[in-house]
Amino acid sequence: MRILRILLIALCAGLATTAARGAHTQAELVLADDLAKPGDTVLAGVHLKMEAGWHTYWKNPGSAGMATKIEWTLPAGVTAGEIEWPLPEKMPPDEVITYAYENEVVLLVPLKLAADLKPGPLELKAQVSWLECKEQCIPAGGAVQTTLNVGTETKLSVNAALLNTWQSKTPGDASSFAIGAHWEKTADNDMRTLVLQGTPSGGDSSPVAKADFFPEASDDFEVQGATTRIPSKNGFALSKAVKKFSGDWPAKISGVVVIENGNERKGFEIYVPVTASAIAAAPTPVPTKAASQPAQPLWRMLLYAFIGGLILNVMPCVLPVIALKILGFVREAANDRRQLRKLGLVYLAGVLASFLILAILVIGLKAAGGRVGWGFQFNNPYFLLAITTLVVLIALNLFGVFEITLGGGALNAAVNLSSRHGAAGAFFNGLLATVLATSCTAPYLGSAVGFAFTAPPAIIVLVMLTVGLGLAFPYVVLSWEPAWLKFLPKPGAWMEKFKIAMGFPMLAAAVWLCSILSTFYGERTWAVPIFLVFVALAAWVYGQFVQRGIRHRGWAGATVLLLLVGGYSYGLERQLRWREPITETEASGASTASTIVPSVGNWQSWSADAVAKARSEGRPVLVDFTAKWCLTCQKDVKPVLESQAVEGKLKEMNAVTLVGDYTRFPSDIFDELARHGRAGVPLVLVYSKNGADDPIVLPEALTPGIVLSALDRAAK
Amino acid sequence: MKRAIAFLGLIALTGAAFGAVEIGKPAPDFTGTDIHGKTYHLSDFKGKLVVLESYNQDCPFCHNQYQTGAMPELQKEMTDKGVIWLMVYSVNPRNHTHRTPEQARAEWTEYKMHATAWLDDSSGAIGRLYGMKTTPNMFVIDKSGTLVYEGAIDDQPDPEHDPHQAHNYARDAVNKTLAGEKVTVSETKSYGCAIKY
Repeated sequence: MRILRILLIALCAGLATTAARGAHTQAELVLADDLAKPGDTVLAGVHLKMEAGWHTYWKNPGSAGMATKIEWTLPAGVTAGEIEWPLPEKMPPDEVITYAYENEVVLLVPLKLAADLKPGPLELKAQVSWLECKEQCIPAGGAVQTTLNVGTETKLSVNAALLNTWQSKTPGDASSFAIGAHWEKTADNDMRTLVLQGTPSGGDSSPVAKADFFPEASDDFEVQGATTRIPSKNGFALSKAVKKFSGDWPAKISGVVVIENGNERKGFEIYVPVTASAIAAAPTPVPTKAASQPAQPLWRMLLYAFIGGLILNVMPCVLPVIALKILGFVREAANDRRQLRKLGLVYLAGVLASFLILAILVIGLKAAGGRVGWGFQFNNPYFLLAITTLVVLIALNLFGVFEITLGGGALNAAVNLSSRHGAAGAFFNGLLATVLATSCTAPYLGSAVGFAFTAPPAIIVLVMLTVGLGLAFPYVVLSWEPAWLKFLPKPGAWMEKFKIAMGFPMLAAAVWLCSILSTFYGERTWAVPIFLVFVALAAWVYGQFVQRGIRHRGWAGATVLLLLVGGYSYGLERQLRWREPITETEASGASTASTIVPSVGNWQSWSADAVAKARSEGRPVLVDFTAKWCLTCQKDVKPVLESQAVEGKLKEMNAVTLVGDYTRFPSDIFDELARHGRAGVPLVLVYSKNGADDPIVLPEALTPGIVLSALDRAAK
Repeated sequence: MKRAIAFLGLIALTGAAFGAVEIGKPAPDFTGTDIHGKTYHLSDFKGKLVVLESYNQDCPFCHNQYQTGAMPELQKEMTDKGVIWLMVYSVNPRNHTHRTPEQARAEWTEYKMHATAWLDDSSGAIGRLYGMKTTPNMFVIDKSGTLVYEGAIDDQPDPEHDPHQAHNYARDAVNKTLAGEKVTVSETKSYGCAIKY
């Protein structure tokens, strides 16, 4: 026993580095050098590693939390400098914004060695304390320790690269921008609005994609977390609310300006006087480009909206629904023509109602300061799950697995409605068509909707309703003038076969929806088909033994229930864990879906910086904004970009090709789309090699010829 | 869509209400149910001095105030003077640390609390109405219903200090108001953990 203890003590003494542990965070002291000379400055770092979901705080924790503290115990001749803090993340919720680090961070401290230091090993110790938070907060800390050898030369340690990486994440100085700060207007009691403006001091005059300000903490006032961006012709402008606790309004403001371009974030320290009002030299805020573009006449926008709606009918996402409708019309034509007219109008009402809801939603979101793009509801995994299940049930119904009878529960009722041809059925068909259609941006629709999303509420409603009118138009015409129905084949036995055949596009739609779901559930998505098999089996038992069965219908009903509950609890709850979609941060990097990137050529991920860099090298640039849920992007745009002619031309021109993934609605791409007057993807841009020109915006209905001629113009 | 619903919810819930309270202005009225099921309205206490305390025992900053006995002592000192002390518990029930009224009653006994009531604000309505950001976050309302103090409990933003040694802003504000004097420090930056709305 005693020997063991001695061994243990010897072992501990032999370990040069000790780490401190909290429940969910570990801290370690690392040095950039193993060996250093007297008079050197050695970079030390406290490496904090947090478990997934836990975070520790920046020097200004924000509205809550506590900054990490380091208290040094150093031998004579070694002095520690101030902590250099890498750029933190801004953490939600909006009510209580904090500045913190997730996963890991290295807090850097320069250690100055005195010139008269004796050679030999030095023990460096520090007491580190922090607050680690997830759903709750835990204060933690401990002693960290390591050894530095003083000698006659300098030798880098294994940690030098790590420290270097983190040092590059600390804010630099503001050399690339001239910063001005002023109060927007006079104080409203203890609240006042601070405006920060940055004018590029170099030649670069492009506006900054996204700028923010992380303030230094103060006891007398608080610069609040929320940031309002003010559109600016060059550089950036933003405003922040400042709350005063005591004393006078601050005369100077200090903190870190954060510039975000694509995936890259850069920070720089500022310490600037706050003037009473804007100074003349400051960049003048201009309205957003989308709004300042020469306004297109409204009638032309409405025409585009109408044509766009019309084209939506033949989009892959709407076709399955249309199959149902044609079937319905053929059937109805055999019966009552007056009824048919009525149904056409009811269908129109269904489409218009759902577009009206969409318009109201868009207006509401805009009012709340939200960002909305075409197809935004496809950003909700729960909605997607429900729609997938619904689509499979519709397919099964078309296959004749089960029949639809009224009053068979809510889901049955929904399926029921889609293939019934009464008034409710027609109305529901209209809703379904809209839901599926919004994921497609038909040609023309992009610019019409993009225009509408920046317009006043009345115009939004008008444009959305016109799109709906276009979508419903062919069926209203057909039902109004049934004579044209003679072009359709006569009802007969073929209808049953046709009905079954139409089940397959529905299944294809379900597969497509699953592929979108995979951006939310990753590998867990395979549980969705498992759940759907349970549902399908339940539908069959229901159709075969409950609806058509004679005996033991109660037992069959119980089996159906059992299958549904089993499928739900095993497939959705246990395997899919449907209530825990992967968050955007977890998914970033891992899920940049390779399927959306054209398979030929050398495609890199889009950022405003990448575009600027390529243009500064005098190379033309082609940018493809796309998304996993955008069928037009994949069925139409991607093959064109993959075509031999386009690929060869791009290679010949030495063009840089960039792809922007809008699957999860990243804000920088949202802003970029808005800049070109679009609210959705696809968007393909071609920048000429002539640095200053605006890009050529390609139409949504792409052909290789259009791309080639745009590239030709860009090469000139 | 989730974002959409969240935004629409925000409009409905907060509008301009979040953080709308201001020193020297009337404190907005609210209704809350305590852990015994009793309903309270702020307006019931016109003519009395009211203290609001945002509370969460799982927050180390709050825990420190209770563990050391400082907060219960202050509650007793204040309620003995006829001050109404309302604890506002705004932890979202989806958070696994959320206390049911039964658990809350046990916690009340364990930490020898002396507040007038522990209000269950699971919806976060009161917290959001007052723009409460951290636990603890203190509000003092005078007899006419005017807000006279908002901010931190004391001047030591640290979860391990001895609160008895710190300067307690809330006590100061209440005592000055009771004595008919003007509150000198009427606003401070509250510290602590983010409220788990």
